[in-house]
Amino acid sequence: MVNDNNQKLVLEDVCSMLSKTGYIADESVCMSLFLSLQLNKPLLVEGPAGVGKTEIAKVMATAMQTDLIRLQCYEGLDSTHALYEWNYQRQLLHLKMIERDNQSVEEKEKTIFGDDFLMKRPLLQAIRHHQKPVLLIDEVDRSDEEFESFLLEVLSEWQITIPETGTVKATHIPQVILTSNRTRELSDALRRRCLYLYIDYPDFEKECMIVKSKIPSIDTKFSEEICRFMQNLRNMQLEKSPGIAETLDWAMALTLLHMDHLDKTIVEKTLGVVLKDWRDTRQVQSSLGDLLEKTGVHSKLDNT
Amino acid sequence: MISRQLSLSKNMIQFCRFLRNSGFMLNVEDEITVLNSLLFNTFIDRKLFKLTLKAVLCKSNKELNEFENLFNQYWSELGKAIESKVKTTSKPVLRQTAKDDSFKSLKSWLSGNKNEEIEQTASYSIGESLSQKDFSQVAVDELKEIMLCIKALSRKLATNLNRRYKNSNKDKFPDLRKTLRNNMRHGGELLKIFFKTPKLNRVKLVIFCDVSKSMDLYASFFLQFMHAFQQTYSRVETFAFGTTLQHITSYLKQNDISTALSLLSTKSQGWSGGTRIGASLHSFLEEYANHMLDKRTIVIILSDGWDTGAIPLLKKSMELIHHKSRKVIWLNPLAGYKLYRPDVAGMQAALPYIDVFSSVHNIDSLKKLVKWL
Repeated sequence: MVNDNNQKLVLEDVCSMLSKTGYIADESVCMSLFLSLQLNKPLLVEGPAGVGKTEIAKVMATAMQTDLIRLQCYEGLDSTHALYEWNYQRQLLHLKMIERDNQSVEEKEKTIFGDDFLMKRPLLQAIRHHQKPVLLIDEVDRSDEEFESFLLEVLSEWQITIPETGTVKATHIPQVILTSNRTRELSDALRRRCLYLYIDYPDFEKECMIVKSKIPSIDTKFSEEICRFMQNLRNMQLEKSPGIAETLDWAMALTLLHMDHLDKTIVEKTLGVVLKDWRDTRQVQSSLGDLLEKTGVHSKLDNT
Repeated sequence: MISRQLSLSKNMIQFCRFLRNSGFMLNVEDEITVLNSLLFNTFIDRKLFKLTLKAVLCKSNKELNEFENLFNQYWSELGKAIESKVKTTSKPVLRQTAKDDSFKSLKSWLSGNKNEEIEQTASYSIGESLSQKDFSQVAVDELKEIMLCIKALSRKLATNLNRRYKNSNKDKFPDLRKTLRNNMRHGGELLKIFFKTPKLNRVKLVIFCDVSKSMDLYASFFLQFMHAFQQTYSRVETFAFGTTLQHITSYLKQNDISTALSLLSTKSQGWSGGTRIGASLHSFLEEYANHMLDKRTIVIILSDGWDTGAIPLLKKSMELIHHKSRKVIWLNPLAGYKLYRPDVAGMQAALPYIDVFSSVHNIDSLKKLVKWL
């Protein structure tokens, strides 16, 4: 199925759209987004934590000038939290209010199953949105398989049946982005319906570009130092490898501290921005000298 | 077979089939999608063309990694076919499985793995060879990957149990009886609504792990498995036994496996020695059974059944445990051998009181565990 609105879209448009919003993307990301827009297919994004999976959806929404509707998945997520729920309290109060009206029971019943009493959850919101929204289904691997099959149904039909009122069809088919951290393997059925994109940790050059674009005030040499340190850090066997989000936080923190180069004391003091596990912190602290030497910082200190 | 095709669309369909033969997860719809996607790009260079196919046809990270080689292989073979202008044949590339020497030697060890109906229950996928590798033969560098798999598996076990309780209960729902009852003081005006919450009705597990000499090869793995399991599912009680019984749940609750193992090694007694299953189970019955065993509890025993103690005591203890619990599962690493028969006296005595008797010597057999819980 071809999306009418995007008939004239070309690959370069997507690339420029992304770079305008400050997202540094490589060719495969651009291509996947482009095809997902053109073919109107959901995009499944996998990769380690903190590499910008969720960011893709946000950027897409900004670029498409539309709203982002987010469904955060968790274990035990069910249809009442994803689709809709009736506002029971309000229904009861309303019934109480119209108790003495001369309406028949059927008429009264009709009023309480109206739109005012329906609490729309993200999926229903996306289906009934006035324009084509971006629907982000975040960390879909955390939901259970039961919910995954339910999702399959919604993603292929784009309609929801509410027993009390009838079937709701999508006014605009949302642009869907699913993300997964690979804590469990997703079903083949879900994969088949999606385009697949894997985002890994960025290489040195890309990371430098990202840091430069997000924190323009940073010194180029300093940002390179930070990125090289992070690249070396990721090569260590850590429980939780830091992602690009941590790099940005750290670079921001160091800039706020008016630093323009890395040294052992400041790295030690600010390690908490980068590492979120005490074992990792201990491990890195013990091999900080080597790590800084690899980054090319230690020798510089010796000279001064 | 890759043959010369005259149109791009035929070539694309042939390429899709080539990928499918190589283990890619593709169906007719994907063939249509790939043809559709080619309409949107005017292809001047090979790179862009490859990128498009990659984005549409790969459905997992593994496939992404394999794509590059297969793409090159296909087009080079097609090139040859066009050059010779005759239909050439080439064997479809079969999915490469790691078949190093150690794997080959393993083959003799493994049995019962040829059953292809093994349910896809593990959530972390590792290579075929690893999931069938005997725990006693795993190299140190493979340990990490196996541990990842075990972690995913135990998480899967935990969520599996959750689902069962969810199926039997409704979602959050207004509780009319309680609502009316509690609002009576307001003269029947419904001012406060009460909701039903699902009743927690999860299965409990009691696991016994044999740490005697005969189980040396497997015990450390089972301990790691139980540790991973304990981290994800709280309703587990774990015991280790050799000649005596030891309650090790609190040690396994340590977040870090190495801390847990070092704690175990300092506190443990009578490990890597003889086995007295009967006496150990008997002491469990005396000390713990009253508050740990009920009809919601599944008992799992990991042991090879070699018992140097009194057999009648084992028989009696097994009978009692069977009576008091929902199910008794005996996992025997030796049952993985084709020629194994549960002839050992201890095993013979216990068999009548076992609901499930199975092998547990590799990841695949652990995956099967999910079915029985």
